[in-house]
Amino acid sequence: MSVMTIYHLVAIFLLCLGIFGIVYRRTLVGIVLGIELILNGAGLSIMASAQLTPAPNALGQAGALLVMGLAAAEATLLLAILLVVSKRFKNVEADKLITMRG
Amino acid sequence: MENLQYENLAWAVLYGHIAIIAVGGFITVLSQSLVRALVGLIMTLFGVAGLFFLMAAPFIALMQLLIYVGAVSVLIFFAIMLTNAWPGGDESVARTGKKTVYALLAAMLPAIFLGSAAIKTAPPSDLVSKEIEVSVLGQFFMADFILPFELISLLLTVAMAGAVVLALERRRQK
Repeated sequence: MSVMTIYHLVAIFLLCLGIFGIVYRRTLVGIVLGIELILNGAGLSIMASAQLTPAPNALGQAGALLVMGLAAAEATLLLAILLVVSKRFKNVEADKLITMRG
Repeated sequence: MENLQYENLAWAVLYGHIAIIAVGGFITVLSQSLVRALVGLIMTLFGVAGLFFLMAAPFIALMQLLIYVGAVSVLIFFAIMLTNAWPGGDESVARTGKKTVYALLAAMLPAIFLGSAAIKTAPPSDLVSKEIEVSVLGQFFMADFILPFELISLLLTVAMAGAVVLALERRRQK
């Protein structure tokens, strides 16, 4: 098994843990934690693919930075959405948010 | 290669960080208190940053620490504080067995398919990677990668503006 495969398996492990967390968690905040795990696995996979193969290194590092920027934007928006949801519904449990009108 | 005299140390660092990632990940998805889950996520982020250091990309590793550990986890902590997701709240109620089985199934399928694909179709890879200078990365961003770079800054601006609008609109209605 090559070194890159080990990194990719770690990334897949993070992806699976994130999916498990998204299904298993009750509150929206727990689901956000799962999404962060998945995004981190994606960044790790991109970096490993570029750094350990003849592909240009700058490409992988730029890709990982873009993933981080996306995660930052996503976390900001999710915080605002969580605030609005918790004000309207008084809780953030995923199974109880069954109406789309506020 | 001449710089492989510390190879055993590098393997130890690799598996140590993988262990940190695994423990932190399990804390993140299984902990009953959301604050503990967030601490587990921070542990995982530190492990991934260590793997970035091991891949000879110190700039990206420091960015990981700055952006994820410094900014994103603080945002999530604010979300925990402001939404009454207190310990002993919704998350501590026992799950039904069906939900656990569904979650395990949803996690197992990509593990099997993607894992076997990654093992079978892996191209030969280098053992060590060459470090590139930050100036090279900056020139890459400014020359070849200028459109995604500008788009991500536009996306960040729109996200911040959208967050402010979302938070302010509710206050005006009251």
